[in-house]
Amino acid sequence: MKQHVTITSTLLALLCAASVWGAEHPGKSEIEKNGYKGPATCEECHPGTAKKFLGTVHWKHASKVDNVSNLDPKKEYGMKNRIYTMCNGNDIVNNLKEIPKNAEGKSKFTGCNTCHPGNHISDVGSTGTQAENAIDCLVCHSTDYDFRQRVPFKNEQGQVVMGQDRSTKAALAIAKPTVKNCMVCHEAAGGGVLVKRGFVFNKETDVHAAKGMVCVDCHKAKNHKIPTGFDPNNWANDGVRIACADCHGEKPHKGLAAAYNSHTAKIACQTCHIPRTGGAVAKDFTVWEKGSDGFYEPTTLKKEANETIPVYAWYNKTVRNELHFIGPNGSRKDGKSKIYPFKIFMGKAFYDKKTGQLLSMDFAPPMATGNTRAGVESAARTLGIKDPASVAKNAVPGWQTIYFGSDHLVTKDKALNCINCHGINGVMNFKALGYTDAEIKKLTNPEIYFKQLIEKQKEDW
Amino acid sequence: MKKAVSIVMVITLMALTIVSFSRVASAEDIKMVGVITKIEIAGKDAKTATATLKDNKSGKLVVITVNDDLTLDKFKDHRIVEGDEIRCKYETVDGKNVSKIFRKTAGC
Repeated sequence: MKQHVTITSTLLALLCAASVWGAEHPGKSEIEKNGYKGPATCEECHPGTAKKFLGTVHWKHASKVDNVSNLDPKKEYGMKNRIYTMCNGNDIVNNLKEIPKNAEGKSKFTGCNTCHPGNHISDVGSTGTQAENAIDCLVCHSTDYDFRQRVPFKNEQGQVVMGQDRSTKAALAIAKPTVKNCMVCHEAAGGGVLVKRGFVFNKETDVHAAKGMVCVDCHKAKNHKIPTGFDPNNWANDGVRIACADCHGEKPHKGLAAAYNSHTAKIACQTCHIPRTGGAVAKDFTVWEKGSDGFYEPTTLKKEANETIPVYAWYNKTVRNELHFIGPNGSRKDGKSKIYPFKIFMGKAFYDKKTGQLLSMDFAPPMATGNTRAGVESAARTLGIKDPASVAKNAVPGWQTIYFGSDHLVTKDKALNCINCHGINGVMNFKALGYTDAEIKKLTNPEIYFKQLIEKQKEDW
Repeated sequence: MKKAVSIVMVITLMALTIVSFSRVASAEDIKMVGVITKIEIAGKDAKTATATLKDNKSGKLVVITVNDDLTLDKFKDHRIVEGDEIRCKYETVDGKNVSKIFRKTAGC
């Protein structure tokens, strides 16, 4: 009886939630009558929301980080100021601007903060009434946003402004963010489509998308704070976390597959259910290639979604952050780690000859001329580094290895099964994971999986 | 007689080879990078569109047929517009160059 009540209440709650999301957003007639006036219109029904939004990672591009080594716990880190080799620039050194003319006499606007949901005059981390009024609510919440409006331009004062679509038409299409709303920015992060994250969220590539789910079904925001996982390379967070088990529980497998439940204490869900990765595997910021438009871009080795295979490592959700390595901490014996899959990326950039520190780059000079050291000099000047010309001239190229979390491209049908790991030629490098030869012999013996797979075979055929 | 049969068989084999190879050739993926000179899409509910790309290497204009929902949506809301440089992979089906990958080369 008790179980029945629980199920009924859960269903009712789900139904109510669905009707709330499914229903047309209220206030349409008001917007039609008065037009859309930016966040002020939204604030009529959602008072205080704009101010709260200014405190989120989407606005600040940074947060305090407590699980990464070699960081100051009192400072905030993120796209705003990080220096690493997937994005060798950041919002500070590679601020949105009109770059110098290239050899063909052409210029363009570019910068890391083009994805910031402000208008650039009120930029990353800004506060106050002006910042609240500058929020582009509709870029995330409208399904009918005209992206011709969201381009940078110079205003009468010569300031670089990021345009917004504040039309009534766009405002009337307000809704829960769709996959498109999120992917407008997240798809092309890191220098192009699929470069950084390397995943496509559609019915062909992700079992959740195939079920009609959208990003915010898992990354369900509260007060615009977006829950995230523990990607070793994604440091800034709103202090809210998500995990597969939040929905699926710790023992998600049923029937013959129930045997897999014994793995969940040591094997992350992603390990079996995300057997492939994608996106850029290497990038060289020291040498840029000239494109057909006469502008230069970092030399990048790109791969499609699902085109590369992950590397497996123990991960306790804390991160080893060093000059030439950003990746997971963990071991099979610390009692906290699980084996996770990672996308490996290697980036080449300039290091300071004197201090050994990784240097960052203002992309404007190399984009126009291909001169990457000029980009290093400009960034060093912006950061107040002593003698920027000398730092740039003597900078030493070097590689950095980065482990990216592999948390999308989830599959049920193509998930790894027993033999994919326990077979002699399985995907796991048990030696590298800390197992002895005797343990590996046991782990790769068919006794472990034979009976179960025979039963599965009977079921399948 | 035996010789005649052999000749006929060899010719048949050659013909089959040519036919099968030509089919493969038409189904081969072609990759190109080019700038969009024109997008033609029939309204908000359109299920197909064409984009004309100027091939960076040859300078030739290539008309690409786009059927995938994601790219169509990017045409409709102008995330992809004329003047954008595109990395495109397509195959020729019934005389049409049907897009398999259609992405802007530029990033953030």
